[in-house]
Amino acid sequence: MDREKLIPLEKLNQLALTEEETERVLAAFAAMEAEEAQLAETDTSAVERMVFNIPLKNILREDAAEKNFTRDQLQEGAPEKMDGYWQVPRLVE
Amino acid sequence: MNYETVIGLEVHVELATESKIFCSCSAKYGAEQNDSVCPACCGMPGMLPVTNKHVVDLGIMAGLLTNCRINRVTTFDKKSYYYPDLPCSYQITQWFSPICVDGGVEIETSQGKKIIGLKQIHMEEDAGKLVHDDWTDTSLVDFNRTSVPLCEIVSKPDLRSVEEVIAYLERLRTLLRFARVSNCRWEEGSMRCDVNLSIRPEGSTELGVRTEMKNMNSLSAIARAIEYEQARHIDALERGTEVLVQETRRWDDVKGQSFAMRNKETAADYRYFPDPNLVPIIIDDEWFDRVKSEMPELPEVKAARYVGELGLTEKDAETLTASRAMCDVFEAAYPLCGSAKDTASWLIGDCMGMLRKKKLTADDIAIDPVKLAEIIKMVTAGEINRNAGRRVLAAVMDEDADPRAYCEKHGLAAQNDEGAILEVVKKAIAANEKSVQDYKNGRTKAMQAIFGSIMKELRGNGDPQTIQRLLKEELDK
Repeated sequence: MDREKLIPLEKLNQLALTEEETERVLAAFAAMEAEEAQLAETDTSAVERMVFNIPLKNILREDAAEKNFTRDQLQEGAPEKMDGYWQVPRLVE
Repeated sequence: MNYETVIGLEVHVELATESKIFCSCSAKYGAEQNDSVCPACCGMPGMLPVTNKHVVDLGIMAGLLTNCRINRVTTFDKKSYYYPDLPCSYQITQWFSPICVDGGVEIETSQGKKIIGLKQIHMEEDAGKLVHDDWTDTSLVDFNRTSVPLCEIVSKPDLRSVEEVIAYLERLRTLLRFARVSNCRWEEGSMRCDVNLSIRPEGSTELGVRTEMKNMNSLSAIARAIEYEQARHIDALERGTEVLVQETRRWDDVKGQSFAMRNKETAADYRYFPDPNLVPIIIDDEWFDRVKSEMPELPEVKAARYVGELGLTEKDAETLTASRAMCDVFEAAYPLCGSAKDTASWLIGDCMGMLRKKKLTADDIAIDPVKLAEIIKMVTAGEINRNAGRRVLAAVMDEDADPRAYCEKHGLAAQNDEGAILEVVKKAIAANEKSVQDYKNGRTKAMQAIFGSIMKELRGNGDPQTIQRLLKEELDK
């Protein structure tokens, strides 16, 4: 991680880091990278990928439609709404 | 220099489920805005997703149809991007272990048969819809489509022409519709396609600069967009009209042009990571075998059987097998009435005609096969004539009427008493002197006018062949 790589991440996360914060984040990344490099030295070729960290699987539901909420209930806390839509600042692609 | 076009497609199809992929809201198309939503698909804090089992069934089915290997351990991941149609700011999709990998779809074009490789099929949730309101200069968000289940079918860059692309998409659509994985309605957005395209000198093995055109939902738009992009890339390479960059473009079908939308994101931009809220899905043999046993007989196999075993013409077999719904009605009805040919004729001629008049398709057929078989039996036995049969059919298709009760109520039983018909024939001859004279003077068509008045008298219920025979006999006396 370096300053150049941090810029797009900062943008994506809608952050505006100060110089001091940038230094702190870069230092944290450097520490993580060092640790990762150490881990990478371990031979894991015979180890199966851990897909989940608790022994649960197949928590599924049957395909049945239900209606438990009305639109008005869901939009009760909406700052802006119009004709049943949530209203947000205009987006230009 | 000759160029080769290299195309890979990402096809999204909405899966045919009752409810959404991670909550129990209805997945039905066309609800009023934000009427099929709940705290989970609106991304409200604390709500957790629970996977719809049928989505996994359909994912497995999609893989079996396209000769993929099914990953028996499959997981969901989060794909982060920020846009108001995505309430959680991430989409739940599959990145590390998609449900299907390494498949292939056989297509046939004027160049012969070819296998188009599939990289993978993954399950994911759809995003919501945005409407831009010019009056208030705001965007309006509808979350009905959020979390509607999708399969994304990712092809390898094996396609080389518009013809191959169309053949591939049509084949995929046929397979998925036939197995009821998706209704694949382009016009409703339940089938959408992203086109990845690059150009390279013929014979080269290196890929050129790739552009992606997103979210096209008609075959004609896809064909035009590909032709436009081919020309743009070749112009750039040959005449240096512009520098090609890897980017996402938007196709404007009205202007017939593509426009740059944004530089192409790479996987790193999406920060994929395993979704800790969704536990792994382990597909055991029992589950896999059950879905496999539900695989339908494919259309071309069915058509060959209809021709070989049931004696249908190739054209009729092909027409019927273009729709799974038609096949289902056909296969349930013909054993009941005892004639595959008659059943095919009623379905193709009369039922499809009635559907077309209502601007419906063969897939929209909703008729009880038992009732259709009953109508065919009544016509074959001469209890009602074909015209009356059509009236009954319309009543059965429109209001699920009982064929026999309908005939009785409307007096449609065929007049089979020859003596009674002969009386009517004689009366008609007496009342149509001019037509009789014309007939005797050699104008055989004049017989039709008399025939018409007989049918009118019999309220359309006489057997046409009996009437024709008796009328001719009387006129020729």
